[in-house]
Amino acid sequence: MRNIVELRNITIDYNLKKYSLRAVSNVSLQIKKGLITALVGESGSGKSTLATSLLEVISTPGAIDSGEILYFGNNDLKDIRKMSENELTAFRWSEISMVFQGAQSALNPIMTIYDQFEETYLVHNRHMKKKEAIKLAKQKSIELLKFVNLDPDRILQMYPHELSGGMKQRAMIAFSLLLNPKLIILDEPTTALDVIVQGYIFKILKKINVDMGISMLLLTHDIGVVAEFADYVAVMYGGKLMEYGTTHEVFKDRMHPYSSGLIDSTPSLLLDIDAMKPIKGSPPDIRNLPEGCVFHPRCDFCMEKCKTIEPKDYLQNDHMVKCHLLEDVWTQ
Amino acid sequence: MEKVRHFAKKVWMFLYQFRYFFAKLGISILTLCAVVILSFVLIVNMPGTVIDSFAMQLSIQRRIPLEQAMILAKQMLNYDPDSSLFSRFVVYLQQLLHGNLGISIKNNAKSVNIILKELLPRTLFVSSISLAISFFLGTFLGSRTTWKRNSVGSKILDGYIVTSNAIPDYIFALIIITVFAFNLGWFPNQGAYDAMILPGFNLPFILSLFFYATLPIMAYVFSQLSFWSMQMQGSALGVLGEDYINAAKARGIPKRIIVRKYLKRNAMLPLVTQLAISFGVMFGGAPLMESIFNYPGIGQAFSQAIVERDYYVVQGILLFVSVIVIGVNLFADTIYSFIDPRIRRSS
Amino acid sequence: MENVGGRSKKILLGIFVKLKKFFSSLFKVFFGNKLSGMGTSILVFFILLGIIGPYIFPYSTSISMEDQLLAPSFIHPFGTDLWGRDIFRQIVAGTSDVLSIAFLAAIFSVVLALVLGMFSGIVGGFFDKFIMFVTNVFLTIPSLPVFLILAAIFTVDNAVTFAIILSIFSWAGMCRSIRAQIISLKERDFIQICKVMKMSKGHIIFKELLPNVGSYILINFIIVMKNAITGSVGLMLLGVASFEPTNWGAILTSAKNNGALINPHSYMWLFAPILCIAIFQLGVIILSKGLDDTLNPRLRVM
Repeated sequence: MRNIVELRNITIDYNLKKYSLRAVSNVSLQIKKGLITALVGESGSGKSTLATSLLEVISTPGAIDSGEILYFGNNDLKDIRKMSENELTAFRWSEISMVFQGAQSALNPIMTIYDQFEETYLVHNRHMKKKEAIKLAKQKSIELLKFVNLDPDRILQMYPHELSGGMKQRAMIAFSLLLNPKLIILDEPTTALDVIVQGYIFKILKKINVDMGISMLLLTHDIGVVAEFADYVAVMYGGKLMEYGTTHEVFKDRMHPYSSGLIDSTPSLLLDIDAMKPIKGSPPDIRNLPEGCVFHPRCDFCMEKCKTIEPKDYLQNDHMVKCHLLEDVWTQ
Repeated sequence: MEKVRHFAKKVWMFLYQFRYFFAKLGISILTLCAVVILSFVLIVNMPGTVIDSFAMQLSIQRRIPLEQAMILAKQMLNYDPDSSLFSRFVVYLQQLLHGNLGISIKNNAKSVNIILKELLPRTLFVSSISLAISFFLGTFLGSRTTWKRNSVGSKILDGYIVTSNAIPDYIFALIIITVFAFNLGWFPNQGAYDAMILPGFNLPFILSLFFYATLPIMAYVFSQLSFWSMQMQGSALGVLGEDYINAAKARGIPKRIIVRKYLKRNAMLPLVTQLAISFGVMFGGAPLMESIFNYPGIGQAFSQAIVERDYYVVQGILLFVSVIVIGVNLFADTIYSFIDPRIRRSS
Repeated sequence: MENVGGRSKKILLGIFVKLKKFFSSLFKVFFGNKLSGMGTSILVFFILLGIIGPYIFPYSTSISMEDQLLAPSFIHPFGTDLWGRDIFRQIVAGTSDVLSIAFLAAIFSVVLALVLGMFSGIVGGFFDKFIMFVTNVFLTIPSLPVFLILAAIFTVDNAVTFAIILSIFSWAGMCRSIRAQIISLKERDFIQICKVMKMSKGHIIFKELLPNVGSYILINFIIVMKNAITGSVGLMLLGVASFEPTNWGAILTSAKNNGALINPHSYMWLFAPILCIAIFQLGVIILSKGLDDTLNPRLRVM
């Protein structure tokens, strides 16, 4: 299974006036080609920050402190961090695109949906004759909107605020396909939408993945979604990567206490409500992360060394777990 | 009966749609009434000596006996201290509704309307050009410096803004007229155009207009440029925090397009109502600025009239300027809902 | 007997501690950061200048024509005016006048805005609508023309009258803002809790609502001071108010009216009051920015 993107030892800091916040700490992650990888974590775990770093669009004052982001999309190897501004502008959206969280404000409120589609298309196709490009843009926009089951004649003329939440999200998904990217990042695509719309949208996403072979990085805190749609899952906590592996392995083997805890805290249709067990404690304060293992204050299996020594990444086949419990069991 | 009801309902729906406009219109009219009352109070407080001296002036000029002059004076000024306050107010209103703003006591009974007609274009000339320059240049600088927070340009702009806040516009006016007009002699120190040139649509006259307006415009722009830059910076800062800026960047849209179509245009929208308010502020500053530059506009006429106690000119100009300012404010308020697509299309 | 003495001691100690806390937090507010420290220093300098300056550098109005329009020197740091009088000492003498006008205008504006704004916000109803209409009128009509008219009708011959006229337009914006803040506070949970706990209206007003608008009032107080100075000098330049000839604006007007624009020898006469006005305004601006930074902390970027 080939990787389309490899993040190696990525550290991202938010440099504020008086202090720095470490949002992402030494994360190494692979995104497999043609598959859906889920990135799971609570709010503040650093997953959005990590995802936006792939396009070098982290909200200021965030900046990547160290690490490499390798892209394998075009039969060659490119380090996204080393790209020039021009290379980046061409790269963005045409190779990797993104569906932002809360598409409510990802669109310019004073431009129609069509104008924004056209603008993006033209900006990336400057080598074409303008008239030709406009024609193609229109064709593609109509085609894509139909694909997500929106009526192009109505939607293209509208302004962003005129669309409902579900419509906007579908329009953003269509938008993300405009330049035939190889990877789409979806940041919590269905938060704030009701369950029925959610199911609908994931059907569309699965279709895109299967029919077009587009890889996906899906950010979510909904375990149920992960179980149903993701092929691989990565679990983040306090800016660190806790576990990574196939959905099947992570869910079945329950190697990491935090991932296990997340799964247990989801209500089950089959079991009693009492079987639902939330993780004790509350999410960490990024300014004051716990020493040793970031998760130790809330861990049921916490040992003495967890409080002072950070666990190494233990690997078996493609399954990575960052926990002292595996010290003598797996290799580093 | 049914048809009448149906019609009434339609009228009500029409009114309801524009209810905000009608509310604002109502407030504007009430504000205008307040100004009218203020002007009336001013007229009513005119001491009797003014009438006497005016009558004396008339009697000398027109060679008529003093008693006749007194009657004539009272007639010309619609001044009747013997009738009740209420009837005087009614007469006053009647005059206003006929568009008669009174006559200048110190200026040979010249009609205030005519004074306004002559002098208003000059004030408007200077004001509009200053506003246009300050607005466009200010919003440009404001959006540019918000995008690049730590550049040399934004530091210079910040320094300039602090300076122009510390030095009021009229003091800057004093400085530049001292330096450029009286000292270096590069610019004229009074008048709206060269008196030697014949007014009309010829090039020398138009050039002369601009030449004489240069210093006043410079003074206005000095203080207003910082206002617009700051407004734009504030608005742009708010826009920068919005997700769609970052989302546009993620789509590979180049920086200059983002600054222009995403940042500047969105940030300019709330500034439109400010534009109207600035217009009013400039009219307000005109008395002082025009006095310093000896620029014969309605501002200078106003301050002269105050000093000379030419009551009718004062209230006439006040009323006229207030009508313009209130009208412009109403216009800007209304137009905002048309240019912001978010408000325009909310069904 | 002992108990009474011990108790009164405790009360005194309590008061002392409260005062100490009050002054130290006041100090932190005004000197907390670089900007507010600088601004406060400038303002304090001028206040001291106004109070004790005239004792150190007394000014006499006696004319001595042979000393007219002298260049700046050690004896006359700002030179002399057309009548041979020392400009530096005039400025020192006028400082207290400038400050008192500004201060009074600010007090009138703030008190009016606070009272009407709070009543408007708390009481609501017709009273509220009426006050809002009045503020709208004052915000729409250009201020200088009305200033001129008022100054002409009510001859300005003392600082209080001057201050009242100057504050007529300054209160409107603040009143609206305070009302808005009160209204948003009214709906917040902690006020509802107070109501449920049946705390007296007075307690709600003074202990809960006021402190929240306190920082806004402080910052705007000095901004009104700045505007009052700008307005007062403007009115003096137009010749409608000038009762105290050592007021900086009066010095400026006198200079302008006596040929300072044309005569290079009088440039200092013109420049000295401008410089003082500019420095004072600068101090106010810096202080207000500093106070804003301290009292309204925002997440600072880079």
